[in-house]
Amino acid sequence: MASSAATRTAAGAAKVVKPIFSRDLDEAKRRVRELYRAWYREVPNTVAMFQLDITTQQGRDKVREMFNKNKHVTDPRVVDMLVIKGKMELQETIHVWKQKTHIMRYFHESEEPRPADFLSKFYRGHEP
Amino acid sequence: MASRALHQCVRSLGRPSLWLLPTNLAVRVPPVFAAAALRPLSFTAASRKTRWLGQSYISSGVLCRQYSDLPPLTLDTIKDRVMYVLKLYDKINPERLQTSSHFMKDLGLDSLDQVEIIMAMEDEFGFEIPDAEAEKLMTPSEIVNYIADKKDVYE
Repeated sequence: MASSAATRTAAGAAKVVKPIFSRDLDEAKRRVRELYRAWYREVPNTVAMFQLDITTQQGRDKVREMFNKNKHVTDPRVVDMLVIKGKMELQETIHVWKQKTHIMRYFHESEEPRPADFLSKFYRGHEP
Repeated sequence: MASRALHQCVRSLGRPSLWLLPTNLAVRVPPVFAAAALRPLSFTAASRKTRWLGQSYISSGVLCRQYSDLPPLTLDTIKDRVMYVLKLYDKINPERLQTSSHFMKDLGLDSLDQVEIIMAMEDEFGFEIPDAEAEKLMTPSEIVNYIADKKDVYE
């Protein structure tokens, strides 16, 4: 069974998969850039439409942050799927199907940051 | 006779005060006035945008409106505007910026920063730059050449 798993992974490394939208990483990156352009141009309209209490620059920084979170991805299919999800979010934002709270959820305003070091985790304790 | 009237129109366009003064209109023959009035309308109906509808005093002292085109683009003006926009961008150090500085290698910018820069150029010059060509523009001089290419500014 271990040998069959090894052969499966060896075969999977050279497998050709059906692409979602783009054939190679360059085309996928082009889609990412188009999505970034659309979001960049949409931010001032969003801030005005939802009457958010942030500046346009803060909104654009948040867009940049969300894009940078997935900077490390190399698989074109994963990139395509992320672009599709980004386009869905953009559509919901443009058509005002979302509400102010959904947009502000990106900013994690009322969430406490999770503890990272040992002592903070110790003080917080294990959740039952 | 019609050609002579048209010649008079063409010469009189250089002196717009002549047909703007109401007294002259009564003196002029109506078809001549009609031809003279049609010429400026065809200029404004051309495909270019009219942006500056300034009023100014021309040499004869009469206040007249000049429906004009945008000032013509030259390579120097394009370069000045591109460098001005780039200096305003906060992620670029203005001292280190030159026309040949590469965005990614010299200035240390991201690909998304380059997208933002191209969008700023689109907003400045008023025409769309498609992404397939925009991803190749990596230095200010390339941007200037691309804009001059698209706007037919002769080298």
